[in-house]
Amino acid sequence: MNTFSNILTTITKRATLLVLAGFLMLPGWVHAEGTISENGGIAIVVHEDTDVSDLSMTELRNIFLANKQFWADRSRIILLVRAPQSDERDFVLNTIYQMDEAQFRQYWIAKMFRAEIPRGPKIVFSTDMTLDLVVAIPGSISFIRADQVTDAVKVVRVDGKLPSDEGYPLK
Amino acid sequence: MIKHFLKTNLILLAIHGFVVSAAYAQNYDIDDYDEIVSSSSDGAEFHIMGFGDVSYISRDGNNNDGFVIGQGVAHLSAYLGQSLGVFSEVSATGRDSGYSMEIERLIVKYDFSDRFKVSAGRYHTPIGYWNSAFHHGAWLQTTTSRPEMVKFGSKILPIHFVGVLAEGTLPGNKIGMSYKAGFGNGRHANIGRAGDAGDINGDKAWMAQVQISPERYYGLVAGLGYYQDEVTPGDRPPIKEGTFSAFAAWTRESPEIIVEYLQSDHESIANSADSGDVRAWYAQVGYRLNGDRNLWKPYLRLEDTDVDSTDPLLFDQGLDHDARILGVRWDFNPYAALKFEYRNEEFNNAGRENNFRVQLSFVLSKL
Repeated sequence: MNTFSNILTTITKRATLLVLAGFLMLPGWVHAEGTISENGGIAIVVHEDTDVSDLSMTELRNIFLANKQFWADRSRIILLVRAPQSDERDFVLNTIYQMDEAQFRQYWIAKMFRAEIPRGPKIVFSTDMTLDLVVAIPGSISFIRADQVTDAVKVVRVDGKLPSDEGYPLK
Repeated sequence: MIKHFLKTNLILLAIHGFVVSAAYAQNYDIDDYDEIVSSSSDGAEFHIMGFGDVSYISRDGNNNDGFVIGQGVAHLSAYLGQSLGVFSEVSATGRDSGYSMEIERLIVKYDFSDRFKVSAGRYHTPIGYWNSAFHHGAWLQTTTSRPEMVKFGSKILPIHFVGVLAEGTLPGNKIGMSYKAGFGNGRHANIGRAGDAGDINGDKAWMAQVQISPERYYGLVAGLGYYQDEVTPGDRPPIKEGTFSAFAAWTRESPEIIVEYLQSDHESIANSADSGDVRAWYAQVGYRLNGDRNLWKPYLRLEDTDVDSTDPLLFDQGLDHDARILGVRWDFNPYAALKFEYRNEEFNNAGRENNFRVQLSFVLSKL
């Protein structure tokens, strides 16, 4: 009986450890990330009141380069960019900016130096922070993984296409 | 035993749920969030930036080889609401007698839209490319120094300008056309300086520049500009000055190509036969290496400045110059670069000389 009890205790402990390990790994599974392309690409998101639904790739690049600083209603565009070492930032630097980190840094420093803008883009640290800020700041624009879009923000078409469409350019 | 197992794991589940939900509800610093929301509204927002450099210069047949502290430059820029911005730039330059401080730029700008922005203050004169793109930022430029035609205190080009400036982009064009048009004080009696304390004569300077950056050739910038003024040097009669400039720059790093040309015509107002011009150009090519060597960027620049012996303003200033420059830039740190440069050049047709420069340049910035 004691032997049976010991075996059962051991099994219970091991099962508990397994469940514990499973719980600890769950966040990783929830955010298990394949490549951005495999998960629908990058979605361009704006504040829901922003009067824009479709941008050409050139317009998008000009916004992200701060060459275009105002929406059509003359409200200022607030650009939110992920901090370094995120897949989303790497993807956007490759596809929209076509720059590496060093070129990106130098671009914004030069832009401020020429007095074309008084500040660089606002730096955000997570998808949740991006979503919360896009909801909170009128005129804001940013980017998140297409599979993490919520109803709180508006997704903008790029060259007439949504992330779910064939031929979407940010995939 | 089973009951114990279930109980233990239900507790674990509850703890886990709490921890995970807390983690995902606040996976960023709320202070960062508040700061961004606050600075994106109508509140004022400030940004500080600085540039500096130290060089070692060795010249042919020169006994005063040694270290040179370049300009220390501090920038303070601010949004004062959504449309009003202020930009200031102060420099400290080492001289034999000590350091001289200078307000290089002070600009108050109101942005009506992308199409139209208007500002007033002291600017880097928007003629050509280098003078606006790099100016005091040694770290920004690939080479150790500016081309001779746009060097600090240049008498060829009015480096600074005090007045008002309108700028903006033109709508719906695939060539990305933008413009700048300015009106203000011309040169001081010391023609290497701007008219900071007022125009020295009644004739204001004006300038216009158009620039394109075609979407099809992302990275290409090209422009044409014109500047006109009546110059009243302290030691000679008034002279009409008209400067045409043209440039093209491929701003990608591999390669980087910058070509700039200017022609400045000078004509005595008292006697139109008393005239001449200055022609100056430079061409620079750099190439950021790929892969593991991408911190290195070799470069080459050719320069030439030719002043007519009949030019009534500049004939006696000793500005003829040509140079062949070869160097390499090493970005050993994201905010600092070391440049090694060999120069073979000739000033005022006085024979060629060689010199070698090593420069450490840096930027102070939050980005």
